[in-house]
Amino acid sequence: MDAHRAVDAAWKRESATIIAGLMRVVHDVGLAEELAQDALVAALEQWPASGVPENPGAWLTTIAKRRAVDHIRRSQRLDRKHEQLARELGQQPEPAQDDVLRLMFISCHPVLPTEARVALTLRVIGGLTADEIARAFLVSEPRIAQRIAAAKRVLAEAQVPFELPDASELAPRLSSVLEVIYLIFNEGYSATSGDDLMRPALCLEALRLGRLLAELAPDEAEVHGLVALMEIQASRSAARTGPAGEPVQLHEQNRGRWDRLLIRRGFTAMLRAREIGGTPGPYVLQAAIAVCHAQARTPEDTDWAQIAALYEALARLLPTPVVQLNRAVAVGFAEGPLAGLALVDALTADPKLRDYHLLPGVRGDLLVRLGRHAEAQLEFERAASLAKNAAESAFLRRRADEIGLAAAPGPTVGQAAEEFLERADLNAATIRSYRQTLRRLRLTVGDQLPLASLTADHVAHVFATAWDDASAKTWNRHLSAVRTFGAWASLHHLAAGIERRAETRSRTEAISSPQLDALLRRPGLPLRERTLWRLLYDSAAGVTAVLALNLEDLDLDDRRARAGGSRVSWRAETARLLSDLIAGRARGPLFLSDRRPGPSRTPADADICPDTGRRRLSYERAEYLFKQATKAVDPAGNGYTLRQLKRGA
Amino acid sequence: MRYLMMSKNTDTPPDENLYTEMGKFIEELSASGVLLATGGLEPSGIRMTSSGGEITVTDGPFAEAKEAVGGFALVEVRSKEEAIEIGRRFLRIVGDGESVMQQVFGP
Repeated sequence: MDAHRAVDAAWKRESATIIAGLMRVVHDVGLAEELAQDALVAALEQWPASGVPENPGAWLTTIAKRRAVDHIRRSQRLDRKHEQLARELGQQPEPAQDDVLRLMFISCHPVLPTEARVALTLRVIGGLTADEIARAFLVSEPRIAQRIAAAKRVLAEAQVPFELPDASELAPRLSSVLEVIYLIFNEGYSATSGDDLMRPALCLEALRLGRLLAELAPDEAEVHGLVALMEIQASRSAARTGPAGEPVQLHEQNRGRWDRLLIRRGFTAMLRAREIGGTPGPYVLQAAIAVCHAQARTPEDTDWAQIAALYEALARLLPTPVVQLNRAVAVGFAEGPLAGLALVDALTADPKLRDYHLLPGVRGDLLVRLGRHAEAQLEFERAASLAKNAAESAFLRRRADEIGLAAAPGPTVGQAAEEFLERADLNAATIRSYRQTLRRLRLTVGDQLPLASLTADHVAHVFATAWDDASAKTWNRHLSAVRTFGAWASLHHLAAGIERRAETRSRTEAISSPQLDALLRRPGLPLRERTLWRLLYDSAAGVTAVLALNLEDLDLDDRRARAGGSRVSWRAETARLLSDLIAGRARGPLFLSDRRPGPSRTPADADICPDTGRRRLSYERAEYLFKQATKAVDPAGNGYTLRQLKRGA
Repeated sequence: MRYLMMSKNTDTPPDENLYTEMGKFIEELSASGVLLATGGLEPSGIRMTSSGGEITVTDGPFAEAKEAVGGFALVEVRSKEEAIEIGRRFLRIVGDGESVMQQVFGP
């Protein structure tokens, strides 16, 4: 058993170098990793009996290379070149460190989805098993295995070369590597789900990857920036959780528990980044912020003005809502809670932040400092219900409880919603739909909000942040739900600020034959409209082409016409209508407007009927008439367009 | 997890080769992000004892030079086995001698 663990430790230390060395020969991550795994299996078989060899890394490398040679010999392409390669492989010097860097660029390649990059990097660079990765990310092992297998396949298909990126490509490729490392770190540092606030093993993996990358790519300021950021954040690991695993906020942390060693390493990395110079990138800026915190002996010593300025610079590079939120926190300390609150309130309209628990959390903090305790309490409650991490949620709940204001008399929004949904007179589908609407309402305003305080403004905010991009149908469904809820709760004004949205049919949605028949049966419908609509439906021709038809173009016997470059044809019913419409005319436009052109309008001769002097029916007019005629049958109330008459459109 | 590795002094004086090997080893451990801090220690030292509230300060050298720690390394590793593996490699470079490794808790 102990031997197995020794093999595992040696493997994790060496696997990246072994796989990278094999990549030079086999040019395929999947194959290289498989061959390296063969060596691992051999070690697991032999070491328990023989003992751990003197140099486990060299042992594993030798076996892996032997397997690679075997593989090449076995493969179909047994030619001189490969023989030569196989021979060289035996004598190759130790693989350059650059090889590991190349391997990192491959495992973080942009052709892969982010999740796959993370899994593959931990696998081939960190030497972690699929099971270890799965446990770290709280997903099932088969899923990680699949993710890794898919990633290898994609890389093989894309034939990603085993090279360092060109100068022109370097920046985006490097930023992809940095992103993967920081993602791994963050998943460890502030676990997004699960019960524990931190998963230190992931932080360690990320730190090691970062430190390694800094050695491999020493001239990149952002790499050192990332390392500095991670070292300094990691320095607070011990201080940021309390005895029961609850989070301790930065300004309440015991700074004596900050790891000075890691802080110093962070400062050193930061110095290296500064020496390289250039415009600071996002990681250098974030590291600079971390440095500001690390330099403050007490929370009061924190240079918030500097931090706010750094966040402002960061927000210019990364204008994400989360960065803006952090900036608001800094401004809240630098310029006072009111200034911070103004920035936070500007963010509440951002749909991307609607489920982000830190937004109400930060608002709650600022409100407490402003003495607005009742509002703060609600915000903490809301933050607690949005937080996915159990420790964090409990912490936020406690902050709400600490304010300790007695609940206002009367039911809360949460209670009212539950009661409303328990009504016996609704069917299951309706309840499901209402529940969806109310769930969003409750998440946005908070379950603890007294029902009596729920206003039309709250509801308008919910609609604006949650459903502004939704289809009109969805919007209207939520609107009816809120109206029904309002009526039930005797809050009739509740949806006052929200308009129903027109449910426009998409252009491609064609009108069905029964719909057309119903339209044409309408009493008093003019012959021209009847004919035009039927012809458009029959022929499936373009509206412009049909309106451009002249009598001279028609072949009434064969029921077809040449219109510009296209052919138009029709059926018996349309033929009857057409002969009625033509009524002895011989030339000029087929479809005529009702009126003669005004004196100021001088249409082209071709658009004038030589017999009556009336002009050709315009698209606008035809469209208008059709819309008017179909308004009553369109559920959205807009009326249909002529294009929708085109069959099979 | 962190381990503090301490190596005790040996009788054999270090040669050029050992310095090169050790330099390479330290470089490798730093590059892979394992080595957090390392250093050599002066053979003599200061000994402080407290007895009955009275503190005595004694200058080195120690009576038993072999008992004195000659160098230390603070490493951050995934497991005890990884620490042992690093210890093995260290001893292979320095030759016969004794090392002590203890897990570091805190800070």
